[in-house]
Amino acid sequence: MPPLVWLFLLVPLGIELAWVFWPALNSFSLSFSRWNGVGAAEPVGLDNYQRMFDDPIVRTAVQNTVIWTIGFGGASVLIGLSLAVALNRPRRGVGIYRSAIYLPMVFSLAVTGLFWRVLYQPDGSINTALEGIGLDGVARQWLADPDTALYAVLVAAVWRQVGYIMVLYLAGLKGCDPTLEEAAAVDGASAWQRFRHVVFPQLRSVNTVIFAVTVIDSLRTFDIVWAMTRGGPYNSSQLLSTYMFEQGFTSLNLGYSSALAVVIFLLAIGFIITYLVRATRED
Amino acid sequence: MSTSDISRRGFLAGTAAIGLSGILGGCVGSGGSTDGGGGGGDASPSGPITLQSSAADPKPKAALKAVVDAFQGAETTINTVAVENFRAQLPTYLTSSNPPDVLTWYAGSVARDYASEGLLLDVSDLWEGDGACAGFSDALRDLSSTEDGSQIFVPTHYYWWGVFHRTSAFDEWGVQAPETWEDFLALCEMLRGRGIVPLTMGTGSTPWVASGWFDYLNLRINGPEYHLELLSGEHSFDSAEVRAVMTEYAKLIPFIDPNGRSYSWQEAVTPLVQNEAAMYLMGAFFTQSVPSDVVDDIDFFRVPIIDESLPVAEEAPTDGYFAASGTDNAAGAKELMSHLAAPDSQQTYVSKAGGAYLPTSPEVDTSGFSPMVQKGIQLLEESDRLTQFFNRDSSDELQTTADAALTRFLDQPDQVDDILSQWQQAAEQVFQA
Repeated sequence: MPPLVWLFLLVPLGIELAWVFWPALNSFSLSFSRWNGVGAAEPVGLDNYQRMFDDPIVRTAVQNTVIWTIGFGGASVLIGLSLAVALNRPRRGVGIYRSAIYLPMVFSLAVTGLFWRVLYQPDGSINTALEGIGLDGVARQWLADPDTALYAVLVAAVWRQVGYIMVLYLAGLKGCDPTLEEAAAVDGASAWQRFRHVVFPQLRSVNTVIFAVTVIDSLRTFDIVWAMTRGGPYNSSQLLSTYMFEQGFTSLNLGYSSALAVVIFLLAIGFIITYLVRATRED
Repeated sequence: MSTSDISRRGFLAGTAAIGLSGILGGCVGSGGSTDGGGGGGDASPSGPITLQSSAADPKPKAALKAVVDAFQGAETTINTVAVENFRAQLPTYLTSSNPPDVLTWYAGSVARDYASEGLLLDVSDLWEGDGACAGFSDALRDLSSTEDGSQIFVPTHYYWWGVFHRTSAFDEWGVQAPETWEDFLALCEMLRGRGIVPLTMGTGSTPWVASGWFDYLNLRINGPEYHLELLSGEHSFDSAEVRAVMTEYAKLIPFIDPNGRSYSWQEAVTPLVQNEAAMYLMGAFFTQSVPSDVVDDIDFFRVPIIDESLPVAEEAPTDGYFAASGTDNAAGAKELMSHLAAPDSQQTYVSKAGGAYLPTSPEVDTSGFSPMVQKGIQLLEESDRLTQFFNRDSSDELQTTADAALTRFLDQPDQVDDILSQWQQAAEQVFQA
């Protein structure tokens, strides 16, 4: 290979090392210390990890993170895949639908959050619509009610994510061999059988990508929750990521928040590696 | 292609060098700030000054700009940062090797903590002789001092808290400002009976607002001494005294706008302005969110006294400036702070900032201020003791424990035992850290 190629590889590597890996490594060492951002960090061994076990908010945050990962991943994949299958065949106006569904993706998560916050207001569109169709009893303060806050945010996040998942699946469906499906149809397979046994297996590589993307996206979810509830009311919609931010940047417990960051990192990497190992073994 | 190779290579090499220099840089958390002074004092006394400001709302921002534009000393740049980010970045600002010279913030426990780390410039000379702060009250001097008696803060304005309402609405409903706690509860009951929300409060995205009533009820029931001791960790939140506060607070809950749980403090102003809600316990700064044609209609009364035997305390949060000890232009920074504290500057700031702020300098002519501000000045003069606010008298970390406890209490007042014991546990974590 010409030396220029190595240069092209080394430069991004250098930048990545300096601006991503070095700070990340630092957060490992910080997680064993107590530091408020001023002066020297005081080493405290495993205290921060110990504290996590006794912290009721961490328990809520872990629970919520699990609910979030399953809900966010499940809903966006199911809806995204259904939409992709429905909008795969060329039909009049299909482009408009695809663009409309993809459109929310162009908004940042923070903007999505602000937008949905307005919809969820006590006298906002959602409650007005519910009252309009006689469902007064269902109307509530979605973001201020600890029973609904997390799910209300989840709906907003899924609304934005489905377009992205749909586009990935559309690309995957384009790569499927149409003759296989036609052959199955000739053999008398129903539409569901054709999808389940002919099309879906061909989407395996796309599924791997989407699984990785979804797990990473859901574990790093922060901005939309922060914009909509800040983890409230009274920590009921706290995720590990928002609690880490609150501890780090509101309370300036940089040691404890680094420990939370390490846990998030280990969870993400654990999920991804297990999945990739299984996926490659099947091949 | 070949002609551009060299320059591209040069560019890439440069980029790589930048990247590598990052790797070679210091490790975070290793306390690299000891060499941060950079020669301190008067390395270049005429250098430009950076003023790091958290005044991001339009009116206070414009007011500060007007004040700084009139500064004759070193060239001054204002960096405005939204207050949430400002709070998070403050330690970074102060410990960096080239810190902003002067910073907006507030007096009290936070400033004292930074001072004890040696991060704040000693500005005691501004408080002596003919210094800009020499004529300020003793209460302000105490607030701006460290434990060892030196001053590290320059207060420039403060405000009071009260129960705000619209004069025209009170006239229309034929009601008057209550004198006693019983009168106040009766007024709330009466207003509610007439379909008016007695109290508006925005605890959605600004849950700290719920601490307003907590502070006041604690001041009125247990007194300012107990309140400040509680906030510094000397008493338990799971105590009979705090329980008594919550008992009174519970009486208010039916009167508080339930929709407020979804509002910010700014959004909670709307029901008041539209006469859907009658009263609002808030800091006087809130008038910056009141439409200009309604501002003159706003009046307030003191949170009614509950226990006559206790000293009368009011919340009077004080804002101002401190300087980083690492500044390379200490003389210029002090000059700017003197300018900011000068009577003319305070007058300009107070008149342009929109909210009902009070000047800290006794030399500012307040006779031209609105009747409501005059009343605010009188309120504080008639008080025996001034406190700051929950977070300023304790810490932002303790504030997050109060936010969780009090917003939950607003939803589930019958769970008070559980709420207080959890609050105490969370508070212990904060005080141990």
